[in-house]
Amino acid sequence: MEKVLLSSSPCHYFEAMNTPILIVDDEPDMCWAISHIIQSQGFNVITAYNGEDACFKLTHGDFSIVFLDAKLPDMDGLEVARRASTLLHERPRIVLVSGYHYHDDPVVRHAIVEGIICGFLAKPFTNKELLKTLHTLSQPIE
Amino acid sequence: MSDNPFKKQSKNHFELLYDMLLDAIPSSVLMVDEKLHVVSVNRNFLLKSQRSNANTVGRPLSEVFPTVILENTGIEERIRNVFRSGSPVNGQKMTYRAPGVPIRIYYYSILPIPANQIMLLMEDVTEQVRLSEEVRRVERHLASVVESASDIVLSTDIEGRILTWNSAAEKLSGLSTHEVHGRYFFEFCDTAQKQPVRLIFMQMKNSNESHTTEFHLLTPNNGGSILISWVFSPMKDDYGQTVGTVVVGRDLAERRKLELQLRQSQKLTALGVMAGGIAHEIRNPLAVCSSAAQFLLEDNITAEFHKECSRKIQTNIQKASAIIENLLRFARSSLDTEMVEVDLNSVLKETIDLVTNQAKVQKIQVLLPMQKEYILVSGVSGLLQQVFMNIFLNAINAMPEGGVLRIVVDTFEDRVIVRVSDTGIGIPAGELDKIFDPFHTSSPVGQGTGLGLSICYSIIQQHLGSIQAESRYGEGATIIVTLPLL
Repeated sequence: MEKVLLSSSPCHYFEAMNTPILIVDDEPDMCWAISHIIQSQGFNVITAYNGEDACFKLTHGDFSIVFLDAKLPDMDGLEVARRASTLLHERPRIVLVSGYHYHDDPVVRHAIVEGIICGFLAKPFTNKELLKTLHTLSQPIE
Repeated sequence: MSDNPFKKQSKNHFELLYDMLLDAIPSSVLMVDEKLHVVSVNRNFLLKSQRSNANTVGRPLSEVFPTVILENTGIEERIRNVFRSGSPVNGQKMTYRAPGVPIRIYYYSILPIPANQIMLLMEDVTEQVRLSEEVRRVERHLASVVESASDIVLSTDIEGRILTWNSAAEKLSGLSTHEVHGRYFFEFCDTAQKQPVRLIFMQMKNSNESHTTEFHLLTPNNGGSILISWVFSPMKDDYGQTVGTVVVGRDLAERRKLELQLRQSQKLTALGVMAGGIAHEIRNPLAVCSSAAQFLLEDNITAEFHKECSRKIQTNIQKASAIIENLLRFARSSLDTEMVEVDLNSVLKETIDLVTNQAKVQKIQVLLPMQKEYILVSGVSGLLQQVFMNIFLNAINAMPEGGVLRIVVDTFEDRVIVRVSDTGIGIPAGELDKIFDPFHTSSPVGQGTGLGLSICYSIIQQHLGSIQAESRYGEGATIIVTLPLL
């Protein structure tokens, strides 16, 4: 089953291997697992445990990629992504990570078409799937 | 006789009075001589027989009365007997049909009077006969209503001694009317209920209200008992005095079976609602386990990281398992209906744990102030959990845009009061009294069964408690459950 879903049309992004990656999930163990996979590739990682925290970090930090849980205690992941797309001039590439949605979920497809998120990763994922997503997104486009 | 008393000046005063009196009485009166000729007749007779004075007075009885009457009643022979014996004949029945008039029924008497005449008095009792037949018909009908009822219907005297006992009572209890008549009703009640039932009969003496309750009726002939829902009503006389008690009882076995099925199907609906939240909640620990297991497969990991991964796997497996266990506990049909000591606090806590996932998905904050002491009630924990599960899920459904689910538990005298409030859209005033009706639902077609709150109602009633709703449209709703403390 295809679990990784990546947008074929590029999001606006700026190439920044050096900028940290934001991981948003209310489950600390989930952040721990994702952080480990990403850190193993030499990226820096910053975590946020809820939507407000994520929005604050997004507006005050400089992130190229965001792994974003779909269901946060205070707001939907997609709401965080929507705010990021309107608030930030330089939009990071956002991957929605969720156990709530499935890969061909109309909500997910719609968000990708809208350009609010760049990809979707279904929980539970293999470390390889996450790395594939990470590498695809960190490749410069054009 | 006389048509206008003022024109009959020739008659003397007594004759006049006599004629008036005869004409005034509502009976037919004929004077007959020894040859059975009519000597005089009053107005009532002429009216009833549709004859004139001229073709009646001086005529033989056989001409004045229809042959059929003469033959059936043998009235001529009876009159001759009176002439012979000089003793009257009282209260004989006669039916008479004049041409073109419906059948009439008379009671007649033959009285000997001076001057060798008899007086034939005929009283029209058609209406009385019709009425008494109607009364008998209504009585028969009422008796057959009581007899045909599938519910137990019995009546007692003011002390609670059984007077009537219908067929349903005979069938359900296995006791015939003969066996129970005159015995106290409480003798046939479950041991624990004997005293309460005596009290109910005492209350009936001074009460105008019915008393509803549930208890077992003994079926001594098969050594068992059956659960019956009872309604006791005082029976009053015309002066408002209690003269007895009417007791109606319905066999609950069938209803219990149906309720069990309803509860089970409603539970499955609730499970469907929770599925989304549960999927999310289980996939998180699964994802952590999956990643940690993959880390373990990598070469060159430190011993410390190895341990950390194992620990994460273990705790997350436990997390997932706990969610599944809660779910199983809820889904399993609660076959035990034995009322035992239950801590309401732990019931509430366990139920909240089940809906937390769903609440989180909908960004709902759950406020349940933890209480240290136990709140003990007599109940079936699985059923109470189903009640609160329904109430919580309703509250969560009322807040699609998020909100606060607040649970407040108070004890007051001998009761515990649980108030579950949401900050959702609330219940419109007109709907408030309908929300506990079966199949009442505000959900779109296909999304709600409308059974949830009606099941809550029946479960809470079974626990001798009450359930109410308070709401103002647009300002959220509060469901209040009251249960007796142990």
